[in-house]
Amino acid sequence: MKTKSKNGPSCSRRFFLKGLGAAGMAGALTTLSGCKDAGKPSGGEGWTPQQYNAPGSWPVQVRGRVPIDPHNPSIVRDDRKCILCGQCTEACKHVQSVEGFYGLPIKNDITCINCGQCALWCPTGAISERDDIAKVLRVIGDTRLHVIVQTAPATRIAIGEEFGMPAGSIVEGKMVAALKLLGFDRVFDTNFSADLTIMEEGTELVNRIRAAAGGHGESGHGHAPTALPQFSSCSPGWVKFCEYFYPDLLENMSTCKSPQQMLGAVAKTYYAKKKGIDPRQIVSVAIMPCTAKKFEASRSEMNSAGVMAGDPGMRDVDFVLTTRELARMIKGKGIDFVKLDPQPYDSLMGEGTGAAVIFAASGGVMEAAIRSGYFLLTGENPPESLYNLSAVRGLQGVKEASLTVPGFGELRVAVSQGLANARQLLDQIRADKQAGRPPRYHFIEFMACPGGCLSGGGQPKTSVPPSDWVRKERLHSIYTIDAKLAKKRLSHENKEVADLYADYLGKPNGDMAHRLLHTTYTDRSGQLTAKNKA
Amino acid sequence: MSKGVLVDMTKCFGCGACTVACKLWNEKKYDEVNKPTVGEAAQLVDINWTVVSKHDVTDGNGDAAWRFAKKQCLHCVDPACASSCLVGALRRTPEGPVVYHPDLCVGCRYCMVACPFNIPKYEWDKSFPKVSKCQMCFTRVVAGEQPACIAVCPNQVMQFGDRDALVREAHRRIADNGQLYVNHVFGETEVGGTAWLYLSDQPFDRLGFKTSVPQESLPAYTWQILSKLPAILLGWTAILSGIYFINKRRNGAAEGKQDTTGGPQA
Repeated sequence: MKTKSKNGPSCSRRFFLKGLGAAGMAGALTTLSGCKDAGKPSGGEGWTPQQYNAPGSWPVQVRGRVPIDPHNPSIVRDDRKCILCGQCTEACKHVQSVEGFYGLPIKNDITCINCGQCALWCPTGAISERDDIAKVLRVIGDTRLHVIVQTAPATRIAIGEEFGMPAGSIVEGKMVAALKLLGFDRVFDTNFSADLTIMEEGTELVNRIRAAAGGHGESGHGHAPTALPQFSSCSPGWVKFCEYFYPDLLENMSTCKSPQQMLGAVAKTYYAKKKGIDPRQIVSVAIMPCTAKKFEASRSEMNSAGVMAGDPGMRDVDFVLTTRELARMIKGKGIDFVKLDPQPYDSLMGEGTGAAVIFAASGGVMEAAIRSGYFLLTGENPPESLYNLSAVRGLQGVKEASLTVPGFGELRVAVSQGLANARQLLDQIRADKQAGRPPRYHFIEFMACPGGCLSGGGQPKTSVPPSDWVRKERLHSIYTIDAKLAKKRLSHENKEVADLYADYLGKPNGDMAHRLLHTTYTDRSGQLTAKNKA
Repeated sequence: MSKGVLVDMTKCFGCGACTVACKLWNEKKYDEVNKPTVGEAAQLVDINWTVVSKHDVTDGNGDAAWRFAKKQCLHCVDPACASSCLVGALRRTPEGPVVYHPDLCVGCRYCMVACPFNIPKYEWDKSFPKVSKCQMCFTRVVAGEQPACIAVCPNQVMQFGDRDALVREAHRRIADNGQLYVNHVFGETEVGGTAWLYLSDQPFDRLGFKTSVPQESLPAYTWQILSKLPAILLGWTAILSGIYFINKRRNGAAEGKQDTTGGPQA
């Protein structure tokens, strides 16, 4: 004991080795006994949305998501944000009647009409438009290029929402000012080419009606189709839908390009010639409420100006940005949109009438066409009642109207929005056609998106999923511009359009107009096995 | 009852919902640039337990077509990975899934060599890596739920159920629609059978499936040898011991002889 306290606790060599051995044995035993309990298997710590978690294999109504081709020119998806809520499928299947309306196995195409409604419905922003902002900024930065931009009717009543303004705020002047600040060389109005579209489409309608009555169209083009009813062709989502599912009715489709493509073709011909600019130096940008417009601009046949200039690789419209992308561009530049002083559109292609603005609303193309169609048929401006054709206005899925035109008789028209609704009309027309019955209508306006362009797939996501209150606010603003703010309300009174015909195109549906403003369609039925029901 | 999944690849349009469900449920990271989950470049890697690969093929009419193949661990009935695992970190459960227990894993990666389909992956870019592979949502399956990828499929490409019933269902579908399907259920006999069974209208090798695998279970091959080991070991022990003793006795006798002849003494 004495030595212990002197030198600290003593430990014999034997005792130490014994302890070490015992500890080793205990450790080995503990480790081995741990093997009996294998611990938790990896994975399974996360979550899935509520609808998929019912025990057992119960059926789930809302499931999965839409397929998107990675090469889709209009929309892209970021899987990191996808929560499999199924809203995109809801929009695609039940609003647009695309997904589920083709048989499986698929062919070599992911059926998509590029409308972008899925992007509008997506609550997490996983689906969005293909972002082309960087490309546009690059051409703006290149001083050798003359960058022009056009803005669709529906952008001016929606883009303010991206900057905290109330839904449907009319911000046409501010938007033009912002575009000029962004560095675009000229800011044109798609309203101008909407009026131009009415001249072409209205003339085409009159020609079709006269051909059906046995006569010959006044200025009809040699190979112009004569089938009635005539379908409007402004909505590229609708056009692709018809190409996929109703190719037998493509002869009813107006051969007119959409206003976007008309302005693009005219810009690189008429405008280039007037201003003495090489069309190859012009870059044409379009601000659209629509993701399908990106696809439309990329269609191979949309190169009329290029063909005319001997450079078929040149596109009529080079880049399409959605309203949301323009808003991001403005925010990116730090421009205080709300405080901007309004500026006017640039001349030559900047004038637009009230008839053009209402293109943004479902029924608007019809109303504008009736106003000018009346003039084309009778030579007189329409009576006051045709300036407020309430039968074709509003958010109903299918709308019908019938009016009497002096010297012509009854003109029967229909309007449809949302392609699930369009099927009602299309199936009827197909059945009539197969049975050899006379057409029920003379003219039908189809818009892919519910409400028309004002609730297009590229518009601000002011309510998610898009709701009728936003549509109604925007609708109200559109008709307010037409009734109260527009100086003119008839497309055929657009002075700049009249100048374009006088100086360059000749007459509506004439040869030059056909080369630049009309197009052809593709039967896409071979890319899917169409089904009538999901 | 052993569970399985029947995948009808003619019904897949490549939305990739199953891959997202897998990532959500198993909390796996995304790397769409280097490790995409859907498309031509999609590959099973450590963070991708399931992928949907895209293949350009020719359909029954001779037209170009796209097909999508959902890939993940096939969950062999007699898994080579589990048989090769030294510590029992990979185990086939009675419910069907072949499950990995990371707490037991020593990181030897024998499973990766053993797997005939090259499924187990290693988390090479982690400091303390684990093996990584589809668990067939084991915790869901034991709770009576279907795996996450199956629950979310919009086209009901996959059907979850008892494996035996699914094999019969697969043959019923082939019989009902012979002009569409290839007359083969991939996974019925491959490597002795897998829990995941596939139907296709294309030859399976065109959809990236490994068709050259043996039709017998792989552990059965090693078992042919291993089962004889105890007998061989005991036999050899007995023989060698016998030889030793005989030699010893002979040597002892020889030494005794030498002693009598008066050999050198130590």
